[in-house]
Amino acid sequence: MVDLALDIRDVSKRYAEHVAVRSLSLVVPRGTVYGLLGPNGAGKTTTIRMILNIIAPDTGTITVLGKSNRDPAILDRLGYLPEERGLYKKMSVRDVLRFLAELKGVGRKDADRRIDEWLERLTLKTAEKDWGKSKVDELSRGMQQKVQFIGTLLHDPELVILDEPFSGLDPINAQALKDTVVDLRRRGKTVIFSTHLMDNAERLCDAVCIIARGEKVLDGTMASVKAENAGRTVAVALEGGANTAVSAVFHDTALCERVDDNSTYFEVELASGATAQTLLQRLVAAGAVINRFEKVQPSLHQIFLQRVGATGIEEGMSGHG
Amino acid sequence: MAKLWAVIKREYIERVRTKWFIIVTLFGPVFFAVIMILPGYLSVKGMREARVTSLRIVDATGIGLGERVARRLAVPQLAAGGVPALAQVDTVDQSGVSVIEDALVAKIQAREENGVLILDSATVASGRARYLGRDAGSVGQVEALESATRFAVLAARAEAAGISAETAEGLAKLRVNISGEKVTDQGKGGDGLAGTIFGFGVAFLLYMSIILYGQNILRGVLEEKTTRVAEVVVSSVSPDILLAGKVIGVGAVGLTQMAVWVGSSVLFWEKRAQVFKAMGVNNMPQMTFPTIEPLVAVALVLFFILGYTFYASLFAAVGAMVSTQEEAQQASQPVLMMLVFSIIFVQPVMTNPTGQLALTMSYLPFSAPIIMPMRMTATPVPPMEIIGSLLGVALACVVAIWLSARIYRVGLLMYGKRPSMRELVRWIRQA
Repeated sequence: MVDLALDIRDVSKRYAEHVAVRSLSLVVPRGTVYGLLGPNGAGKTTTIRMILNIIAPDTGTITVLGKSNRDPAILDRLGYLPEERGLYKKMSVRDVLRFLAELKGVGRKDADRRIDEWLERLTLKTAEKDWGKSKVDELSRGMQQKVQFIGTLLHDPELVILDEPFSGLDPINAQALKDTVVDLRRRGKTVIFSTHLMDNAERLCDAVCIIARGEKVLDGTMASVKAENAGRTVAVALEGGANTAVSAVFHDTALCERVDDNSTYFEVELASGATAQTLLQRLVAAGAVINRFEKVQPSLHQIFLQRVGATGIEEGMSGHG
Repeated sequence: MAKLWAVIKREYIERVRTKWFIIVTLFGPVFFAVIMILPGYLSVKGMREARVTSLRIVDATGIGLGERVARRLAVPQLAAGGVPALAQVDTVDQSGVSVIEDALVAKIQAREENGVLILDSATVASGRARYLGRDAGSVGQVEALESATRFAVLAARAEAAGISAETAEGLAKLRVNISGEKVTDQGKGGDGLAGTIFGFGVAFLLYMSIILYGQNILRGVLEEKTTRVAEVVVSSVSPDILLAGKVIGVGAVGLTQMAVWVGSSVLFWEKRAQVFKAMGVNNMPQMTFPTIEPLVAVALVLFFILGYTFYASLFAAVGAMVSTQEEAQQASQPVLMMLVFSIIFVQPVMTNPTGQLALTMSYLPFSAPIIMPMRMTATPVPPMEIIGSLLGVALACVVAIWLSARIYRVGLLMYGKRPSMRELVRWIRQA
């Protein structure tokens, strides 16, 4: 059996007005970067909070690093970056980091050494200026994000959980975050992060789980997810774009399930029963001048749209975290 | 345990370091000292200041009562070593009073005179006199006049009865001063009045500290909520430990401050003679410090700790319920009301510290931490009553902590609308 960093079994969480998570099961092997994908309000944050035992599930069990997540000792081996970030504004950066480290059971001396390392690594401590001595509210937003990030990783956790880590990051910090995730993976750590930005997930993740409306839509390794959803998407590039007849072909629901229209470039998801061959014939017959016609592996973005659907996103938008 | 300690340490150090804490802790005793000294200082000083010169006396008694009153009013001046300036006395007969009265009232209105004391036959017969002046509402001024007039009438009557002026003065000079001395099971326990004042002091100190530090906790919880730091913290420690650490840490800050205050007050009390002397007041008010029995002292500290814990956990729950400062003010009203309710009854309880009201208030858990310590210092209270009251508060504490911990656990991560009563009950159930 594979060594699992996280094993969620049949977990549900119901709030007064709605079901946030509905019998969700998923496994994350150790040493992987795992993406928890879903529209806003799909239940990602609720799931993450349940993993961290911040809120208790109504049913189901959660096993983290081989132990029940109700074991308080397990929290010391986890690092968590919440979606909504914040620090004690009036404390000095070093004091905040010391406090966060102490909460994870890291001693003062050890903490100080690691704080120095991290501050230097993320250029918060240079020859000219040591931001560690400054109060948190003297720092820019970007710098505060770095501090928060250090706080998440200071105790060298085995499992790192990042909730929407890329939201609100400037490009430089986003790059620093990606580098760190890659570095963590190289050192054998497990990283789980939630996002609704598919590009980031596609580049970073070994495996993903897509959830919508509190339910799992699909999960698996990136390769298997892509393979399962391959063969149904055709990339079409037309000289001069689509004329009326060509548009009619794209709008034929017996042939095209969904078309991503970029004026001269189209990504077509074939309807069930339809083949690429038929589509090509119909397009040529409609007078399309074809520059490119290719069966492609769908992007994670497309898989997401295809499997979650527009309704899932819209409904999800109104939900609660 | 190590994590609880980390939370306590942070709460304590971050607060003790603030300028606000340092200023209040250092200057609190100065403030108390001023409150303790100022009334005595002002009253002694005030007596020395001559007010009589700005006073006119209309004497229609026909026996020279006006002169006597004027001389009497000048006595404090003489005592202070000043040159006595006697009030101007206009001697008229009964029918002339209204004329001179109208003229003087006009002068008072024109701010040329301060006030006029009118003495007539009724004064000699029944002690009735009139004072007209802008400061007629001033209790001190009217009291000074009353006392001088009483003295003058007494002296005049004595003389009429054939006693010489000197003897009459001597007779009228008698002042009665009853010093109340408290009797307890252990014997005579010091000044009764001092005990009362001390009781008030203790009640207000507890009230102030509970309000100050209770609100402090509320702000702390709210800050963690609004800065969203709470979620990071509860991913490392349970909300219960965070709450406990907060209450203990802030409570320790309160105890530190109290220790400094009580310590410096005791020091001041012991050195009060020098302080009064330095301010030029020789005859300081006589008072002995009430003796405090060890059981009472221990109970005082326990009442503070339990009372503080009770209110602090309620304030913490309020902090977790709301998302903004404005909401916090509204939502903390019920908790504040309980405190204000207790302090409103301080006076009635003090006038009858063994009555039914006092007894009831010292068993109600929310008022007991303020009322009982006050009663205990003012009058002897049977130990069984103290222990019973303490147990009641302790029980209420357990309930308050239990409820608050549940509200806190759910509320900490809830943003937006303040929960209704029904939602709150659901929070308590689901936590």
